[in-house]
Amino acid sequence: MSGSTSWTEENRAREHELLRLLVTAVHDRAVIRDELVTMHLPLVRHLARKYADRGEPFEDLLQVGTVGLITAIDRFDIERGNELSTFAAPYITGEIRRHFRDKAWSVRVPRGLQELQAPLSAATERLTRELQRSPTVGELSAALNVPEDVVLDAMEARHSYSASSLDQELEAGTLALPSIDTALDRIDERETLGPLLEALSPRDRQIITRRFFDEWSQRQIADELGISQMHVSRILARTLEQLRAQLQEPAD
Amino acid sequence: MSGPDDVRLSFEADTRNIALARTVAAAMAARADLPIDQLEDARLAVDEAVSQIIVAAPAGAEVVCIMSAEPGSLSITVSAPGTQEPSRTTFSWTVLNALVDSLDAQLADGRLTFMLLIERADVDA
Repeated sequence: MSGSTSWTEENRAREHELLRLLVTAVHDRAVIRDELVTMHLPLVRHLARKYADRGEPFEDLLQVGTVGLITAIDRFDIERGNELSTFAAPYITGEIRRHFRDKAWSVRVPRGLQELQAPLSAATERLTRELQRSPTVGELSAALNVPEDVVLDAMEARHSYSASSLDQELEAGTLALPSIDTALDRIDERETLGPLLEALSPRDRQIITRRFFDEWSQRQIADELGISQMHVSRILARTLEQLRAQLQEPAD
Repeated sequence: MSGPDDVRLSFEADTRNIALARTVAAAMAARADLPIDQLEDARLAVDEAVSQIIVAAPAGAEVVCIMSAEPGSLSITVSAPGTQEPSRTTFSWTVLNALVDSLDAQLADGRLTFMLLIERADVDA
């Protein structure tokens, strides 16, 4: 295995033992997988280092690389007789590359689009007040005196900004939490979904409940919480993606 | 019949392609002159429908997404090879149903098709 210095016969034997255990394991999969991940972290570190000077925090590269490693462990077939490290390397590199591809957007947001963010927010808020509804792209384009596709690009660019910086917009405030129990009654996955919704921040849960169970519009939710509709939209997108991933995870 | 405000996307059933469909949905919603909160709903709806269909489709299958914009309304179909109709009581279906004005799914000739319609909420449009 490249990159690690002390891959002994003992390690190799333990790896094979773990991989065999993983084939039949039901309850302890996570524990077995964790040990395999730990054993191969030097490989992730080695591969991540090749991308270390490209402007992304090394910790992030390790993290996404580890996601690749986990995927590889899950897909590895011990019967094929090849080495896990050989099998895993392309998965690890693949995840790191994908991270750069996904990031490329936000890193390369043209300055013009960044400078348009503040006027876009201001125009959206003003037009929403005047029209008593959200403006269209055409109306924003007229108000800002820029082409419609530039407005669209600027809106898209907002989605690619890091969630953490935007999430600081609102955390305070007391929320009248609607009960999710009745809404959940109709849902097949209520047993899994209930705890996942409970685990969300009160604000995120409120937004999800209002939009999908009470069928409020994004605009109405934004008004209730006193945040921008774009912010509601970002939280919906992020939380939905998270819930979807969690619901698809096989419970082990 | 397809016209200048119809777009047909075809791509492999791979989650990496969801972002493509989402971006096109936003552009088509703008063309349909939908307010931006409904434009964002269109993005979310396409995201959800395409994700759902990709999960159900065999690996490597072709997903076809057709979007038609008319003044004040956007209709979207997403289809891929499939063998069973989606349950109407999943979280995913609930989400889709809340995001669009009309939602249906049908299975015909071995293809599963989602049909979505988003109409402008205000009447003064």
